[in-house]
Amino acid sequence: MGVAVQVDGLVRKFGDFIAVNEVSFEVREGEIFGFLGPNGSGKSTTIRCLCGLLLPSAGTVAVHGLDVRRHAEEIRAQIGYMPQFFSLYSDLSARQNIEFYAAMYGVPRAGLQQRMGEVCERLELGPIMERPAGNLSTGWRQRLALATSILHRPPLVFLDEPTSGVDPITRRMFWEVIDDLAQDGTTVFVTTHVMDEAEHCTRLAMMHYGRLIAQGSPDEMRSRHAKNMVEVRTGKLWDTLAVLQASDAVVEAVVFGDAIHAECHAALTNPAQTVREVLRSARISVESVAAIQPTMEDVFVSLARRYGHPEHVAAGGDG
Amino acid sequence: MRLRRMLAIARAEWIHNRRDPRSLVVIVVLPVVLLLLFGYGINYDLQHIPFAVYDLDGTEMGRSLIQQFQHSRYFSLREVITDRRRVDVLLDTEEVVFVLVVPPGLGRDLGAGRDAKVQALLNGSDTVRANVALGYIEGAILDYSTKLGIEFARHHGLSGTTPFTVHPIIFYNPGLESDNFIIPGLIVLLLAVLTALLTSTCIVRERELGSFETLVASPATALEIMLGKMLPYAVMAFADVLLCIIAGRLIFGVRVTGNISLLLAISIVFLAASLSIGILFSALARTQRVAIFLAFLGTFLPTVLLSGFVFPLRSMPAALQLISKVIPATHFLVVVRSIYLKASGMAVLWPLVLILAVFAVTLLAIAAKAFKKRI
Repeated sequence: MGVAVQVDGLVRKFGDFIAVNEVSFEVREGEIFGFLGPNGSGKSTTIRCLCGLLLPSAGTVAVHGLDVRRHAEEIRAQIGYMPQFFSLYSDLSARQNIEFYAAMYGVPRAGLQQRMGEVCERLELGPIMERPAGNLSTGWRQRLALATSILHRPPLVFLDEPTSGVDPITRRMFWEVIDDLAQDGTTVFVTTHVMDEAEHCTRLAMMHYGRLIAQGSPDEMRSRHAKNMVEVRTGKLWDTLAVLQASDAVVEAVVFGDAIHAECHAALTNPAQTVREVLRSARISVESVAAIQPTMEDVFVSLARRYGHPEHVAAGGDG
Repeated sequence: MRLRRMLAIARAEWIHNRRDPRSLVVIVVLPVVLLLLFGYGINYDLQHIPFAVYDLDGTEMGRSLIQQFQHSRYFSLREVITDRRRVDVLLDTEEVVFVLVVPPGLGRDLGAGRDAKVQALLNGSDTVRANVALGYIEGAILDYSTKLGIEFARHHGLSGTTPFTVHPIIFYNPGLESDNFIIPGLIVLLLAVLTALLTSTCIVRERELGSFETLVASPATALEIMLGKMLPYAVMAFADVLLCIIAGRLIFGVRVTGNISLLLAISIVFLAASLSIGILFSALARTQRVAIFLAFLGTFLPTVLLSGFVFPLRSMPAALQLISKVIPATHFLVVVRSIYLKASGMAVLWPLVLILAVFAVTLLAIAAKAFKKRI
């Protein structure tokens, strides 16, 4: 499998601020590459560097083997890009916007109507095709933006937080479309800060304060980080949380829905049993304690705790 | 370079303008308002200059001199002063431009064959009017002196002729009407400012609204984007050329003596250069306000001051003359005036057209270079 994107030592500064700091990773052809991290962690800046919209301050970026500094124009013809913020023409209708970008990317006129029909049907854009894009609600805007970014069948698409501000049904639709794209061999580079979306991805990279702190497949991420995860249910949620956070056996405890997820020290062989004992000595009656597969959110919380502050991040990640 | 991309960009820009009432103001209202304002405002022709007479002589000779002034269409007698203090009052309040003082003993001096002096008191605070008035006064006095000389000669049985006279035949603007000079210049000024204003927002607007990011992420090249964006404005600006020519004819009676088609063809070359200036400002500025401000000042001031529109270039210092050469409007101004007044053809104008074409290509190249496909 070929390499779609190769990033080595990417740095991007804005004045004194280092938005992206020594980031290296590769995206393989045909995979769904999830780029995770909280707001302001440098995800969008990285994407913009990959698309040739920002010049790297240092490091190299190659897209399909083309250096982004010298071949930005060729790269642009091979990618689709959906920016984080709405970036289409407000005073053009949805249809006019799609036709505009079809012309920019040179979608052959012959098959254009059919292709537009396919994409619009897939994203159910029918009802808003003739409405000015500026009047659309966020969910519709995101659908329209996704449609324009994939209309020309690019082999590589960059989607910057495509699901931010969209309802759960549309969100599901988006991930179906992304899965379909990958099925057809398209490489999808997608950013999100919604951790359960990460489960859809072939591989993940996690950004934190401009640093890449972890990467791997979802399973690898789970097994490497936040290994000894235990789900605890008791009658007293907040008391339990306080007890677990104070315990030496527990690295981190967070409320997760109506339960508590506690990450226990990796050295423990039976973390569930240890947690029971901790709670019994604190006289909290336990409903259930069970070792669980950590969610991506657990992984993220665990990693974020470990790399809590920028200076720790600067000390070096394991990614 | 792909035509399809350019046309799509032109179409999007066109749709935007159709929905934006501001563009209509710039395209239609601004030229008409400026044309009226400047067309009526700038006028070097003075007629019916108000003046007063202070006759201290009271002889027949003085009265006939005053009559000479009264009968001219250049002067208009407002008051015959009898009290000395009125002289100051009239000049102070600017009721008159000058006071003609006929000194005591004028008739006597002339009768005795001595030199006679007439005094003119001018309000010099308005130098243009004072200068023009002085010229007219001298002319009128000279006329009168000549007439007297001839009469004197005839009286003594000599042939009454003037030794030298000038018979002026004025080419290109026989009436020396300043409208004929001003209106073509005004058309150039209007087009220079308007075109830059029109294109000054088209790129920076996308930056402000956010659509820039998707656009520059697409493979459309800087040149395609610029040419595409210029196209609708070129059409609008061309309509303004027609509007100005028609308004100049209907409102000010200034007609094109030369070939109108040639004028229109050359104006397209000028428009290309001028629209590129607006695009350049748009590519450099970070906000629409700054772009509009730059485009207005960057075209209005140089065109008014340095193109030869109002102030003759030949009387400027060499450095300013040199600067004026790098303003496209300077060259287009010569073209427009030549076609308007002298009916010049390509045989004479081609070097200027060539210069304008070089400007167009160079400015477009600079703008394309300045337009970085980055955010």
